[in-house]
Amino acid sequence: MLGVVPPRPMLSLDRLGTVIAILIGVALFAAPFATYRATRIASGQSRLLIEALPFTMSAVVAIVALAVAAGAAIVRDPLGRLGSAVIGLAVLLPSLGLSAGYLTPADNTFARVSPSTGFWLLTAAFSILAIDALARMRLGPYGRLAALAVGISAVALLLFSGIWNELSILKEYHTRADTFWREARQHLVLAFGSMAVACLLGIPIGIAGHRFRTLRIAMLQGLGIVQTIPSIALFGLLMAPLGALAASVPLAAALGIKGIGAAPAFIALVLYALLPIVANTIAGLSQVPASVVDAARGMGLSERQRLLEVEMPLALPVILAGIRIVSVQNLGLATVAALIGGGGLGTFVFQGIGQTAIDLVLLGALPTVGLSFVASIVLDALVDIAKGALA
Amino acid sequence: MKLSSLIRLTALILLVAFIVMPHAFAFVFEPLTVNRAPAIYNQGSLLTLTLQHLRTVVLATLASTVIAVALGIFVTRPSGTEFLPLSRSLVNIGQTFPPIAVLAIAVPLVGFGEKPTFIALFLYGLLPIFENTLTGLTQVSPQTLEAARGMGMNDRQRLFQVELPLAFPLILAGIRLSVIISLGTATIGSTVAAKGLGEVIIAGLQSNNIAFVLQGGLVVALLAVLIHDGLGLIERLAARKLGRSLDEVS
Amino acid sequence: MIEIEHLTKRYGTNTVVEDVSFEVEEGTLTVVVGTSGAGKSTLLRMINRLVEPTSGRVLIDGEDTRRIPEDTLRHRIGYVIQGYGLFPHRNVADNIATVPRLLGWDRKRIAQRVEELLDLFQLDPAEFARKFPHELSGGQQQRVGVARALAARPALLLMDEPFGALDAVIRAKAQDDLLAIQRRLGTTIMLVTHDMNEAFHLGDRIAVMDQARLLQYASPAELLMHPADDFVERLVGTAERPFRLLSLAKVQEAVEPGAAEGEPIAVSDSLHDALSRLMWTGHRALPVADAKGAIIGRVSVDGILEHGRSLP
Repeated sequence: MLGVVPPRPMLSLDRLGTVIAILIGVALFAAPFATYRATRIASGQSRLLIEALPFTMSAVVAIVALAVAAGAAIVRDPLGRLGSAVIGLAVLLPSLGLSAGYLTPADNTFARVSPSTGFWLLTAAFSILAIDALARMRLGPYGRLAALAVGISAVALLLFSGIWNELSILKEYHTRADTFWREARQHLVLAFGSMAVACLLGIPIGIAGHRFRTLRIAMLQGLGIVQTIPSIALFGLLMAPLGALAASVPLAAALGIKGIGAAPAFIALVLYALLPIVANTIAGLSQVPASVVDAARGMGLSERQRLLEVEMPLALPVILAGIRIVSVQNLGLATVAALIGGGGLGTFVFQGIGQTAIDLVLLGALPTVGLSFVASIVLDALVDIAKGALA
Repeated sequence: MKLSSLIRLTALILLVAFIVMPHAFAFVFEPLTVNRAPAIYNQGSLLTLTLQHLRTVVLATLASTVIAVALGIFVTRPSGTEFLPLSRSLVNIGQTFPPIAVLAIAVPLVGFGEKPTFIALFLYGLLPIFENTLTGLTQVSPQTLEAARGMGMNDRQRLFQVELPLAFPLILAGIRLSVIISLGTATIGSTVAAKGLGEVIIAGLQSNNIAFVLQGGLVVALLAVLIHDGLGLIERLAARKLGRSLDEVS
Repeated sequence: MIEIEHLTKRYGTNTVVEDVSFEVEEGTLTVVVGTSGAGKSTLLRMINRLVEPTSGRVLIDGEDTRRIPEDTLRHRIGYVIQGYGLFPHRNVADNIATVPRLLGWDRKRIAQRVEELLDLFQLDPAEFARKFPHELSGGQQQRVGVARALAARPALLLMDEPFGALDAVIRAKAQDDLLAIQRRLGTTIMLVTHDMNEAFHLGDRIAVMDQARLLQYASPAELLMHPADDFVERLVGTAERPFRLLSLAKVQEAVEPGAAEGEPIAVSDSLHDALSRLMWTGHRALPVADAKGAIIGRVSVDGILEHGRSLP
């Protein structure tokens, strides 16, 4: 019998909390809160918290941040920690928008204000505190989805209330709102369209692979090799056969690249997506207990009925786990498509690199990260729900 | 010799031959060029680019391995357990960042060249190694650890003689994954002016020369597949040395 | 000699072992028996300090174990657990060599010791030394586990349900082997089990525990004849008591003068074995032979039953 851990007192110095408290301290007093640029590509000037906001407002931010730091170091109850992290974020995030308005001279449309190290550190500290609390609360799938919904609503509120409108990244957005939504749609089409095609192909291949050993080995090895080929190389390899197709490239201005559009990117994404889907379909089917299949056969179910009514439902959680891997993988890989003229949010990333405009990079990168984050949480929850339905 | 080994060997010889004397293969790529464009990359030596590419990947992977294994050990010791749930969540979240985003965000912070590439490779390489170290160390059976403690092994002896050897094949698998991701990210690193094989592809895209794109793609792809294969071989050897059956590891 | 003095272990308000004291003689096999959760494993783990006692102490040959550094103490005490905890990444020879290596023995001495132990446990060194744990059967793993615990010649061997993972047939054989090895090496053994039959079969002395307390510490016969309370009596099992007593008594005690037909029974066999042989062969009586094979009398069904009735 292993030792029972004695209950720990609720009030004592917490090591993780102490690290977070130190992080908050550094962010408040030793790092700039915002960066001010005279124009979007001018070099930035750092502004400490006290300079970045009117005095009372910066005092409020500092006091709240210090209170959260103290709470992180002392309070162990996850709910208490989550609460203090949320309060911290609720004060910090809108204050960034206020800071942008405060730092930008009146009627100046060229000046740019971006968050700086201090703001990012504070956000990181509060988020880590929240993530740690959520991890310790061990929420069920519905709880996690609810938490996600709350998070999305909060971000949407911040975006649509206009409080952040003076920020550089949103100015970048407003000057190219049309392109942004077009590329975002293109990104989703690339990532999820290729995923849908991969499912349509991969699940039947997986079912066949489950039956036939030779096919299984050949498919898994072949797709395994494809998976190791770096994305840009595979795009390039597919360009030659598809060479005849040409399309105009939005990147031409930035990098002078000429290429042939979304087709090779889409095909490459399908190829990348096939391995997790085929492999997980096979794994899911092979973990269906032999006794269950036997019982189904004993009750006179035909092979088709067995597959559709017994084996596939039991394999579903594992197949969904494969789809989760693919969704995150494809959302990330689709950013590279911009390099060969395939469009997507990567367009802004590479344009931003070309112009050394970090806010443009972020305009492409942050929505991608957000999408992957949402997709992984939603699909994780679906996997758990599917498992729960079987249990 | 088995067929698969033969294919491997042929691929390796072809790759080395092409990198060392690419012009001998010009006839393959000539049909793809238009307007008498060069068939073989002519803005630098393929050999140098390959070595620079590999150097970036090896250095970044070494750095990630040291840090990730050390962190993995830390959060599985009693003094670090408070960080365990958080570190798991952070790894999960970290993997939702596309490597290109990490690369792109690093540029404004450290400028163009090798540095942002190295940072992106290092940071992104941490995740699979850390995750596998964690899995490897937490999978060691409590019975084995109990027996080790009962025989009077101190914490250090348990870590180095029992836990790390048992986690070793999984750590290797993590390193392999990290190397493969890094090879790809380093290729994209050429868009931020890092020296590497991505240059060939980018140059091809810029000058609309499919021959460049194809040869760059082929070299990078073969390199990745062969390295993946070679590391897999080492993994299997290690696993065999540890007396495990192969299925257990793969 | 091991002296356990007022050992107590509490986790918060939960008392797992409460004020347990007893002494274990050198060279004997003591079994700690009880239902699961009785605190017997914790008691055992306090002896090699895998669990630190809340209060009380353990003396080994008069030396307080708290004065000995933890690791040094454990190098001196063999420890076998259920499932054995063999190192999956080390072959049999390296598994057995674990503690000698920690102690810094030289290579030759280790090799010699490993070979000696493999022989002792009837594992051919040529065949088994290089095998890995996953290539061994359950019984072989168990033997390697015990061999590993004995490698550095510990004066004391602690065993926590060492036969728990074996099936009944192999278990009986493993128990007999343990007894033979213990007699040969003279190692003091403390063994924890929940199996009463195992306790009676192996123990020179038996400690019965329930709900953190030591209820009775006595010889098997004493336990049968004078159970300390109802719980011990129930645990010992009233119905089978005569048979248990017979298996504790030797043929020696019921030898009567006279001759008999048939295969002789050894004088060192238990009366339980003798009775089964009589019933199985259909004889009313069988000759009794001493250790050298000379016939010294006979043993009969009536004689055994008579003797059985004289037992309380």
